[in-house]
Amino acid sequence: MSARAVTAIPTLNTPRLMLRAPRLEDFGAYADFFASERAVLERGRRDRVGAWKEFATVVGQWALRGYGGFAIVDRSSGAYLGEAGIFHDHGYPEPEIGWMVVPAAEGKGIAHEAALAVRRWAYDTLGLSTLVSYITPGNSRSIRLAERLGAVPDLAAARPDPGDLVYRHPGPEVLA
Amino acid sequence: MNAAADIPVLETARLTLRAPRVEDFGPYSGFWASDRSVWEDGPLDLDSAWKEFASAAGLWALRGYGAWSVVDRATGAYLGEAGLFQPVHYPEPDIGWMVVAGAEGSGIAHEAALAVRDWCYRVRGLTLLMSYIDPRNTRSIRLAERLGAARDDTAPLPEGEFCVAYRHPGPEFLA
Repeated sequence: MSARAVTAIPTLNTPRLMLRAPRLEDFGAYADFFASERAVLERGRRDRVGAWKEFATVVGQWALRGYGGFAIVDRSSGAYLGEAGIFHDHGYPEPEIGWMVVPAAEGKGIAHEAALAVRRWAYDTLGLSTLVSYITPGNSRSIRLAERLGAVPDLAAARPDPGDLVYRHPGPEVLA
Repeated sequence: MNAAADIPVLETARLTLRAPRVEDFGPYSGFWASDRSVWEDGPLDLDSAWKEFASAAGLWALRGYGAWSVVDRATGAYLGEAGLFQPVHYPEPDIGWMVVAGAEGSGIAHEAALAVRDWCYRVRGLTLLMSYIDPRNTRSIRLAERLGAARDDTAPLPEGEFCVAYRHPGPEFLA
């Protein structure tokens, strides 16, 4: 029998955060987010079983595509703050950079700090040449963050749902 | 790096069980689009089938066990899926299997399930394995019984699922 490290999930460090492989013990806080009103603009509220499917899907993506979701934790306390990563469901025309922050951690620039680290990793290590974010109209918080990251609306891009907004991020050549 | 997520390769007489790959999704989703998936909460559209596929692969990193793709050892052709399934609402790990339409009736699920169970006991050190099966899924019930599993009406069931529990013989009976 041989083992193959198909799902090696890296750890990324920023000044305040660690982005690491999702773990079972993260699921409680993750499921609470998806049970709350805050999930309405993040593709909808989900019950516990539905939240599990989302949670495990972005982990499984690592094995299938070589990229996926990271858990965002406080670098000093280890507290779970949210999720960020490169998401690529079956219906996605291309890889997406996305983020989610639990209510208690909002308003501190955590999603911004995490997204910068994910984008840097996606370009430098993964070798991606472009990234989009799919955002539900009305999710003004995510739109502001996409804009802060330098992303601009891409009206011509294919999208998972005709109603989605597509924000195109600056490419590696612009950020170098 | 997360070493717990390594997915082993298992070999049997006719089969290789290996990590799921994106290219397996075509035949996998074909199963879920068909009426054959009706006892597994199917049929599922492509988006839902993807989440089923990827979440089973994601179990490896979360629990240290999960789903394998079952392929023909000689040709590499995709034949189905077998492994351990345990979404959040499953009280115990579930040995499950699925065989694509063209590969049915030749004992492939049986051969794959035996290899999975052997790995669970000998390598992974698990001691309690269930199969949660829709009571109308007579084909899977026959296979569970052939594997020596017995219906256990006292076992806790996955909340919200229409199923019965089959308990597999433990490692002490198989040694």
